Amino acid sequence: MLFDTTQLVVALLWIAGAFALAIALIPLLGTLPPRGRFALISFVTFIAGLFFAAEFFLPVGEDNKNILTDPFQKMQGSLQVITALSLGLGTYGLVRLHLRNAVQRRPQWGYSLVLLIAFVVMAFFSIWNTMAEKGLFGIERTQLLENAFTLLFDYTLIQLDATMFSLIAFYIFSAAYRAFRIRSIEASILMFTAMLVMIGIVPLGKLISDSIGLPAVQTAEMRTNPFMLENILYNLRLPQIAGWIQETLNAPVQRAIEFGVGIGALAMAIRLWLSLERGIN
Amino acid sequence: MEARSIWERMMRIDRRILYVILAVNIIAALMARVAIEPDVPPPVKRFYDTVEALQPGDMVMVSSTWSAGTLAENQPQFEAVLKHLMRKRVRFTIISFAPPARDISHRLARRIAEENGYVEGKDWAHFGYTPDIIIAIKGMSEDIAQTIRQDVRRTPIAELEVMRGIKSLKDYKLVVDVTPSDTLGNWISYRPPDLKILYCPTSVMAAEAYTFLDSGQILGMITGAKGAYEYERLLGIVGLGTRFINAIQFSHVLIIFFILLGNFGMLMQRRASAS
Repeated sequence: MLFDTTQLVVALLWIAGAFALAIALIPLLGTLPPRGRFALISFVTFIAGLFFAAEFFLPVGEDNKNILTDPFQKMQGSLQVITALSLGLGTYGLVRLHLRNAVQRRPQWGYSLVLLIAFVVMAFFSIWNTMAEKGLFGIERTQLLENAFTLLFDYTLIQLDATMFSLIAFYIFSAAYRAFRIRSIEASILMFTAMLVMIGIVPLGKLISDSIGLPAVQTAEMRTNPFMLENILYNLRLPQIAGWIQETLNAPVQRAIEFGVGIGALAMAIRLWLSLERGIN
Repeated sequence: MEARSIWERMMRIDRRILYVILAVNIIAALMARVAIEPDVPPPVKRFYDTVEALQPGDMVMVSSTWSAGTLAENQPQFEAVLKHLMRKRVRFTIISFAPPARDISHRLARRIAEENGYVEGKDWAHFGYTPDIIIAIKGMSEDIAQTIRQDVRRTPIAELEVMRGIKSLKDYKLVVDVTPSDTLGNWISYRPPDLKILYCPTSVMAAEAYTFLDSGQILGMITGAKGAYEYERLLGIVGLGTRFINAIQFSHVLIIFFILLGNFGMLMQRRASAS
């Protein structure tokens, strides 16, 4: 047993208390003037952010903990609950929107109906499957469940998902044929680099390099004498060229991009923490 | 109506014809039983060597955050890595940070485990889906049983035989991140410092990871189904990577051929217009 009865009762009381507090706070917040409401939300946001920042930056003792480490671990549990709640909120929004579409017979309401039916059927068998998997309430795995879940999950959801993603290959193929044109020096460099990498990274690159007689192995002598003809020929192998492009050209560029993104994210985080970010109105 | 030149017609080719050509190419390549020996790149070799260096009974975390959308790339990687871990008689646990990933990885792992004589709960376990990756990694770095609490079969973590002697991620030897998402940065930032990382991204995500390979923050990388094929050759097995590689490489050739053809058509059309 994960919890005993007392723990369960205490947990339920906590949930009920938190729920009652939240319900009571909503009208209270409504009575505050907008500036006061904003100040209160900013203050709570700042304190919450400060807690996480302080836990990260405060020095730790011999046990690798500081004063905030234990409360931080408790906070992690509540944050997981909040993240899980957002799933419920998303589900509620989705069902509400499509239910309204279907009931009011809005344009293309048939799609909404299909979505709702698929949602209910999939949710029913998924929940049943999870309960049977965990042995909750004595529910057992039956042949009907096995067949229905396999049909819905393995043979429908997975295949649809994979098909949707696979379509990208066809769009890329069509787009590459129509749009990839050598109209400038930059476009030419990009195109030939892409072609070298595309062939160099697959086994065909090795086959082509072998078939034109380029050395397949770099010997110790070749490594110590980089300008040796054999070494130059070895480095002209398609896999070596592709590897060089990825590791020597691509990696620094990626690092530069990530560095820029990191600084941008830090600036955005500080703006959010200090409630300077107004969002989109 | 003015007659169009062959180049003009070629430039305006119906996209459905292109789709059919690609589809036929993929089907033919999937059916072909030709295996070209790969030139195994250093990241895949280092991945293999890192797993090979594990001792029986060592503990590995497999972070499996992929769903059916990237099944063609992540499933071959996932299967090859699990087979290697089982061959080394290494204990492992799986965790997912996306809801669909939980079921896919659990069902696959269960099948592979049965084939290799691994018992769930004793030799391996699935921690299920956890919503927030940062909180989960930070929590597991201190105490797994407190953070995850139970596996997918509702067994408390502390009672799992596979977790004997394991309290936190600090007791793990390495983590293998199989994902098309940007989860790698979180593992690098929040894992215990000594925990080694191996990475299995999709091909599009691999470009971003070279910077971490270069810095040594990840020890090895299997890139998409192509990387899985190279890994399978090192393992000496025939898996999904081996089955998919021809479709990948012949599609590359076809795309290159059609790009060149399109450019050739454009040049000829320009020349015809000029004359």
